[in-house]
Amino acid sequence: MIRRPGRWAVGGLGLLCALGCGPESTGGPTTVTVSGSVLGAEGQILRRQLERFDREHAEIRVEMRPTPDAADLRHQLYVQWLNARATDPDILQVDAIWTPEFAAAGWILPVDRYASDTADFFPVTIDANRWQGRLFAMPWFVDVGMLYWRTDLFSEAPRTWDALDREVRGAIADGTPRYGLVWQGARYEGLVTVFVEYLGGFGGRILDGGRVTVAEEPGVRALTLMRDQIHRIGVVPGRVLTWHEEEPRFAFQNGEAAMMRNWPYAAGPMQDTAESKVAGRFAVAPMPAGPGGHPTAAFGGAQLAINAFSPEAEAAWLVIDYLTRPEQMLERAQLVGQFPTRTASYDDPALAHALEIPPAQAREIIEAAVPRPVTPVYTQLSEILQIQLHRALSRQAEPRDALARAAAEMQELLDRVGLGRGDVAAD
Amino acid sequence: MPPTEPRGAEAREARLAWWMTGPAVLTILLVALFPLGWTIWESLHLHDLRMPWLGRPFVGLDNYVEVLQDRRFWDSMAHTVWFAVVSVSLELVVGCALALAMNRTFRGRTLVRLSILIPWAIPTVVAALVWRFMFEGLEGWLAHDLKAWVPIILADAWKETPFVALLLLAGLQGIDPSLYEAARIDGASSWRQFRHVTLPLLAPAIMVALIFRTMNAFRVFDLIYVLTGGGPGTATEPISLYTFNSLMQNLRFGYGSTLSVLVFLVTFGLALGYIRLLGRGLTETRA
Amino acid sequence: MRDQSRWATLVIAALVLAVAFPFYRAVAGSLTPEAQLFGGAPLWPDPPVLYHYRALFTERQFWLPIRNSLIVAGTTTLFCVTLGSLCAYALARLRFRGKTLLLGAILAVSMFPQIAVVSPLFLLLRSLRLINTYPGLVLPYLTFAMPLTVWLLVGYFRQLPAELEEAAMVDGASRFRAFREVIVPLALPGLAATAILTFVYSWNEFLFALSFTLGPERQTVPVAIALFRGQYQVPWGQVLAAAIVATAPVALLVLAFQRRIVQGLTAGAVKG
Repeated sequence: MIRRPGRWAVGGLGLLCALGCGPESTGGPTTVTVSGSVLGAEGQILRRQLERFDREHAEIRVEMRPTPDAADLRHQLYVQWLNARATDPDILQVDAIWTPEFAAAGWILPVDRYASDTADFFPVTIDANRWQGRLFAMPWFVDVGMLYWRTDLFSEAPRTWDALDREVRGAIADGTPRYGLVWQGARYEGLVTVFVEYLGGFGGRILDGGRVTVAEEPGVRALTLMRDQIHRIGVVPGRVLTWHEEEPRFAFQNGEAAMMRNWPYAAGPMQDTAESKVAGRFAVAPMPAGPGGHPTAAFGGAQLAINAFSPEAEAAWLVIDYLTRPEQMLERAQLVGQFPTRTASYDDPALAHALEIPPAQAREIIEAAVPRPVTPVYTQLSEILQIQLHRALSRQAEPRDALARAAAEMQELLDRVGLGRGDVAAD
Repeated sequence: MPPTEPRGAEAREARLAWWMTGPAVLTILLVALFPLGWTIWESLHLHDLRMPWLGRPFVGLDNYVEVLQDRRFWDSMAHTVWFAVVSVSLELVVGCALALAMNRTFRGRTLVRLSILIPWAIPTVVAALVWRFMFEGLEGWLAHDLKAWVPIILADAWKETPFVALLLLAGLQGIDPSLYEAARIDGASSWRQFRHVTLPLLAPAIMVALIFRTMNAFRVFDLIYVLTGGGPGTATEPISLYTFNSLMQNLRFGYGSTLSVLVFLVTFGLALGYIRLLGRGLTETRA
Repeated sequence: MRDQSRWATLVIAALVLAVAFPFYRAVAGSLTPEAQLFGGAPLWPDPPVLYHYRALFTERQFWLPIRNSLIVAGTTTLFCVTLGSLCAYALARLRFRGKTLLLGAILAVSMFPQIAVVSPLFLLLRSLRLINTYPGLVLPYLTFAMPLTVWLLVGYFRQLPAELEEAAMVDGASRFRAFREVIVPLALPGLAATAILTFVYSWNEFLFALSFTLGPERQTVPVAIALFRGQYQVPWGQVLAAAIVATAPVALLVLAFQRRIVQGLTAGAVKG
């Protein structure tokens, strides 16, 4: 004899199930789900483009599935879905560093057989999406690290680190602005992107094939410079060590910093005369270089990949192909300020009005872009590196020792999983 | 003394007990058994999703050996233990004070109770953001490997003390006021009343508060993730953040599961310790 | 006596201030124009603005996650208190074998880190077709909220004198009826505390809600707030406004229940 409360419980749960269970999918046109950024202006433009696609393709219906923009959260959701072999979403907006990881895990499909015009894209965008020779995602828009500088404080952008240090020290000598150069120094991926730019400026690389080269001389010089800029030269404030992207942006936007390293997204808000104190008074340049190196930009941005378990790969490709066409890329540039990944777009006069910075300059910076190591274990490598970089910058360790330690751990990891020196699988 | 009962009544009582505990236990079993078993099973395998070519071989206790030799594991365990000890002690003491205060009748007590319980009602992520917001402007706190613990512990205490206070308050309500009366008549000071009347009778509530607060302190994640991200370096990284990294960032499901099982064992051990210390006779009926 | 009151008042005042300050900053922040919110927001906005709150409901349809949270948290609380109190009573009062094991097992369940449990739980719920449904959240929440409920109420029931049920049973009531009609009314403070604890837990829970829901029709408040974040940008004003709005139902609940919680036992029952 079930007591009354028990009966209610069972009945209640059943009722909930009936009420709560999701709607069944109907037959009819093929439905393709896109998972990506659906926030604000980006969301609006995506919706608009997808609606246009729907109109042109009666047999395909595209839906958007909102996922958090915070990279960690989106990554976690993807891992969960893909590990469970979920058949949707069919299309995934993928960060620059996830492609090799998902490709190696067998979670996204190679798109070589669909993509015919890869020559139209910037080589760096294609290379960053290749794993073991095959292309696994289409570049959608590109983010690159750039130097923002105040046109009212400097006559031109510094091309070398020495020049930058000298000029910035002069500019902040009288106390305004408060900070010289600001960048992303918290212990996260952003720090590695900044380091990559200093590293390239001294002619170094993190990884060469399966060999870890970050602890070699260029790396030591790059990290030492970063540390000295904070603690000796004094052009970078110590508080950058907890800053992500927004803190430097606000500092620069409020007129408190003479220079800033940041991604293209910052340009838009900073031109807003209502909110920004530096509207019309800043410009963008490639990051400076040191002796033996060349200006380097960290490569970021978004690509579109096809879920390996999706039953609608063909339809998904049609959507991806549509979204990565020049017209759509131009529209994104105009409405959201995102850099197209096709080289020809930069010859299009319409782009000049769309971007906050001259297309020629954007192109120059993109061509100087360098991807972070393209390997499935990149996140773990990055973590090891982040920790040591941050330790050196917060003076818990000397740069040489910190990098040596990082390199040793990174190499040990690569060797252990068969992606190290001499291994065929290494890219 | 309960009257002696015939054997049939005992069996009936047992049957009633199973009916009453049944729904709760069934729900828990249905939902929890698979995930827990899965986690334990995974911890015995080498399973790295980034490299499916390595397969998913059974490796027995190899993961455990690797974890116990992992410096970062021990560091994060040390951080977690330190965090748990400091924050739980703080919360217990302050929570007790608050509970005693809330137990009294005074004007404005509704407002006081309400304002004390609010921090706990705010989602952890938001609370962490608010605290980060407050400490961001101050130089040298969040970026310092030792001082970063201050905002972390303060934020946790701010958020969780109401929970402890609430538990203890419910416990205080169960204490028979006549006992205090008797003690007062015997001439006991308020401190002695507290030590000899309140504390012993509050022991069950304290124990529950300790167990659950410790358990949750060991699993702290959102708070530290938002405040420092585990930094500077890995100076404030708790074990759950390391587990998250292993599982979701590095896709090392075997290793991450091993970390989880170890956290479980430690927490369970602590809970057993608390029970032994404070919970004598928890399941015995009152004579 | 007077000394005690003064000490108590000071302690309370200090604690209330310390506790209220961050909350005050959150409220002030939600009324501050976006541009001022960064790098040292003023203690009181000048001028205070309401557009963050408006944006919540016009731009972001914030009432949807509020509805979802209310349903999920409400259902979880209802079931948790019901099932939990039944279970706790049996453990506290009835004699049967395996009590310690049961208590231990119930507790053990909630000791695994959530992040480890998320993946297999996702697989399980998916196979039961419960992803993106209300039961898909209520079931995990029940499982992880029940241990606290049971443990709290076991201690609580144990404290009540056994003579109470015995009196009722001598009068001819069944054990269960004695429970329902005698014990439950007396245990209301404990039940109320448990209800609030469960409600707040379900209301604020983030990881499961993020992982087991797919869209705005079922996402709860913490997930909705997390989705406010852009890749780099946090719309502070809206986040704080959302937090304030999200706190309101819980505050109301606390207000409604707090008298119950601190209500003492009636004199008659105690002297018994």
